[in-house]
Amino acid sequence: MLGRKGGKKGNYAYAVAKVKAKKASLLKGDDYAKMLMMSLPEISRFISESGYQKEMAELAGRIEGIDLIEHATYRNMAGIFSGILHSTQGELREMMSAYLTKWDMWNLKVILRGKTYGVDTESIKEDLVPAGRLDTSMLDKLLSMETNKDIIAEFERMKHLEIPPEVINAYNADGHLRDIEDYLDKLYYRRLLATTDPSSRPKRLFQDFVRREIDTINLETILVLKREGIRGDDVMKFIIPDGKQIDKKLATQLANADCIAAAANDLAQLDFYEDIKEALDAETGSLKDLVAGMKRYHIRQANKLASLYPLSVIPILDFMIHKQIEVENIRTIARGLESGIDKETIKGLLVI
Amino acid sequence: MVDEGTGLLAIGAGLAVGLAGIGAGLGEKDVGAAAVGAITEDMSLFGKCIVLIVLPETIVIFGLVIAFMILFTMS
Repeated sequence: MLGRKGGKKGNYAYAVAKVKAKKASLLKGDDYAKMLMMSLPEISRFISESGYQKEMAELAGRIEGIDLIEHATYRNMAGIFSGILHSTQGELREMMSAYLTKWDMWNLKVILRGKTYGVDTESIKEDLVPAGRLDTSMLDKLLSMETNKDIIAEFERMKHLEIPPEVINAYNADGHLRDIEDYLDKLYYRRLLATTDPSSRPKRLFQDFVRREIDTINLETILVLKREGIRGDDVMKFIIPDGKQIDKKLATQLANADCIAAAANDLAQLDFYEDIKEALDAETGSLKDLVAGMKRYHIRQANKLASLYPLSVIPILDFMIHKQIEVENIRTIARGLESGIDKETIKGLLVI
Repeated sequence: MVDEGTGLLAIGAGLAVGLAGIGAGLGEKDVGAAAVGAITEDMSLFGKCIVLIVLPETIVIFGLVIAFMILFTMS
């Protein structure tokens, strides 16, 4: 009886200890400072010695330089996330599985964008993260499709979903992917919140975490679009419902505010105001700082909640966020150095 | 044939060891699972994990001590 109950609830102790051990081996702030002083081959060697050796060795024969680093880092991340999913059981596995479908959405977006702009298949593959339910062979199948229409149809079949005709028609009308991408984001979060009923404490924690994530995405969307001068009603079309602190009323207020400075007053009541206060300044703040501020808040929240609820899904999500940021940082450094961007600017783009 | 009081004491001694054992088992279940998870990622944690795994077993010793005290009372 105890075994069955434990299996249904999930093996939190095992999975959390595993990810905590993995988290301890992630790169630290000093490592990024060192990497900024290195050349690309040195970075390749450095990351090979820091947990990416398997992927680097597998791919080194086929590709090199920046392509090798980009491909290896995403492949490593996908492998680790899939490994975590396979080591979980019961409701924990359900939650992880639902959370990781975000990579299916990501992969579809990458493929559609790549195909739209005529990027070659190998370059598209560099940005794919097969950590969701679609494995490499399924993604290869999507990549082999000729048109975006076929890709979307195949994706719908693979994921057992249907993108509404009005979204497809909007895409066909102007060729912009924004409506499809927006629909995919909303669908992901709607399904994620719907599949995890908040009947048990772990699931409530998970939902809270996801809803905080929605807040950060929504705020980023509002502020980005406001800076572009887009009107409130149009901004609201891109808002994902069910945020924790930014509900529909507050989102409308923010979207309809005259300027960012006016929106700042509405934002002052939110938890993450302190992190983005400086970035909101119309003169000195930048969008880059704002996004970095939101990411920092998200990481700090994940860290805090992971300490408060050690035997829950949060430490696993916390690790996933940290891993994703590590990979993004490595890619930013490598891509920045390759493009000859000055080191201080690259440093500013890192989330440490 | 033992009298009723001695029988109850014997049952008490049994419960002291048995319940302490169940408690330790429940505690060890999570500690053990976590230890295995940590060791699969980092073998150098083996020593520390072993110490943590045996920690809940001390509960059984308390149960055993109580059981002995009951048994000595009987004799």
